[in-house]
Amino acid sequence: MGQNSILIVEDEHTLRRLLEYRLSKQYDVRTASNGEEALARIEERAPDMIISDIMMPKMDGFALQNAVQSKKETSAIPFIFLTAKADEQSRTKGLRTGVDDYITKPFDIEQLLKRVDRLLERTKQFKSQLDARISQDFSQRLIPKNLPNVDDYRILFRNAPKEDGGGDLFDWIEVGDGTYLFTIGDVMGKGLQAKFYAFSFFGYVRSTIHAMLPTTTSPAKLMARVNQALIDDSTMEETFASLLLIKWEPASNTITYVNAGHCRPVIIGPDSSSVVEHSDLILGLDHETDFKDTVIELKENMSFVAYTDGLSEQVLSGGKMVGEQGILDHASRVAGKDDPIDELLTSILSSSGTPEFADDILVFWLQRTGLNWFAPFANAG
Amino acid sequence: MQVTTTSFKVEPSNQDTVIVRIGKALDFRNAAEFKSTCQTQVRSGARNFVLDFSETGILDSTGLGSIFSLYRQVSPLEGQVVFASVSRPVQVVVQLTRTYKVFRQFPSVDSALETFE
Repeated sequence: MGQNSILIVEDEHTLRRLLEYRLSKQYDVRTASNGEEALARIEERAPDMIISDIMMPKMDGFALQNAVQSKKETSAIPFIFLTAKADEQSRTKGLRTGVDDYITKPFDIEQLLKRVDRLLERTKQFKSQLDARISQDFSQRLIPKNLPNVDDYRILFRNAPKEDGGGDLFDWIEVGDGTYLFTIGDVMGKGLQAKFYAFSFFGYVRSTIHAMLPTTTSPAKLMARVNQALIDDSTMEETFASLLLIKWEPASNTITYVNAGHCRPVIIGPDSSSVVEHSDLILGLDHETDFKDTVIELKENMSFVAYTDGLSEQVLSGGKMVGEQGILDHASRVAGKDDPIDELLTSILSSSGTPEFADDILVFWLQRTGLNWFAPFANAG
Repeated sequence: MQVTTTSFKVEPSNQDTVIVRIGKALDFRNAAEFKSTCQTQVRSGARNFVLDFSETGILDSTGLGSIFSLYRQVSPLEGQVVFASVSRPVQVVVQLTRTYKVFRQFPSVDSALETFE
C-alpha cells in the first residue's frame, strides 16, 4: 500500500514549511508557492489531494482549482481550500463545485489533519466500491451463460468469483462437427488488476484459437501459440496464467487435453479414480516450453473434473490444504449424485469448517452417463 | 551494504549475484515490494538471484507471479533465478505450476552460490 501524496500550495513560507513538516509524518508531501508552480507539480505526478491557499501571487487558488477541475485526469482529486478570509462571501465562493473542504486561517493543525484523513478515507472507500463494481462486471464476462448439450453426457459447471479474488476464466466453443473445445484458466495475481489481465488474456486465447482452427485443433499446438503470443507482447509481460485446453469429441468418447501449469484434473470412474498425470509449464515464462497432448478415453459413468486452485488450496479445519488427493477423495464420494458439484463444494466446506471459500472457485464436471439402457425404467417409475 | 526492507533482506554475494531472503510469506500483500526490491538490484547490476525460502510458509500466485517477473527481467541478461532451501509449502506451488522446469533448486544457499562462482 503506497503512501497518499498531498500537494500543499501556499505562498507564505512559514506556513508552507509548517504544513509540510506536520503532514509529511503521514503523507508523501510536495509543495508549491503559487498556482502556476502547483500545476507544474501536478503535471509531474498527480497527487491524491491538494491543499491550497486562495490569495497567492501569479495564480490564485480559485484559478488553480478551475484549472484542476477542467482537466479530466485531475478533476477527481480532493481539494481543500485554506484561507484567511473568514468572511461569508469568500466562503460561499470557496464552497463551489469540486471543493471538498474549506478551512479558515488561523486553524488548528490537528483539526486539519483529521479532515485530511477523513477526506482521503472517503475517497478510498468510493474508489473501492467502484472497483468492486468493475470487478463484478469483469467476472461475469469471463464466464459464458450456457453449456453444450450432448446426448449421453452431462456437463456441469460452477464458479464463484470473489470481489478481491483473481481472474478465473472459462469458455467453450464448438470447433467442428460435434467437437468442442473448453478453456479453463487462472491468471496470477489478485484484485482488479488480475481481473483486467484475465480479460485481456481471455481475448488472446479466443483469437488465437479462432485464427488457428483451420490448421489445427490440437490443444498442445494451440497452447504453444498462446504462450508465444503472451511472451511476444510487451503489454502482457506481467501476465502469467495457468491454462487447460480440453478438446472433447463425444462421438469417439475422447478428451484430448493439454495442461499449462494448471491444477491437474481428476478422472472419476465407477471403480477407480486418478489424477491426470501429465502437465507442462505455466504460460508466459518460457517461449520454448514444450506442450504435449494427453488423450483420455471416457468410459461409461466416467467423469472428467477440472477446477481452479481456490478449491484445492482451501484450508481444512486441521490447517492443511485440500490438495489434489483431497479433491480426488471428495469427488469420488459425490460422483453418483444429482448435482455432484454442489455436493463436492458442500463436502469440502464442511471439512474446512467455514461457510465459504477463501478464494475464487471454479469447477467443471464432464460425465459420460451412458445410462440409456436404464431410461425406460426411469420413465416407467 | 545490507538493505533491509520490512520483509526482504538482500545480501550481495558477488558482483552480479544477490541472495534474497524471502521471509515468512511472499504473497499479494508484499509481492509489489519484492518486485521493486529486485528491480533496484537489477538496476545496480545484479543478474543472478538466489531466493532463500527456508522460512517461507506462504507463497501464493501473486507472489509467484512476482518471481516470474524477475525471471523475465534477468533471463535476457543471461541471469538466473534459483531457489534455495525450498520449504514444503513452496514445493507444492512449484510442483503444481511445473516451474521447477525453470527455477533450479538447491538444498542450501551455499550450494546455490557455488554455481555462480
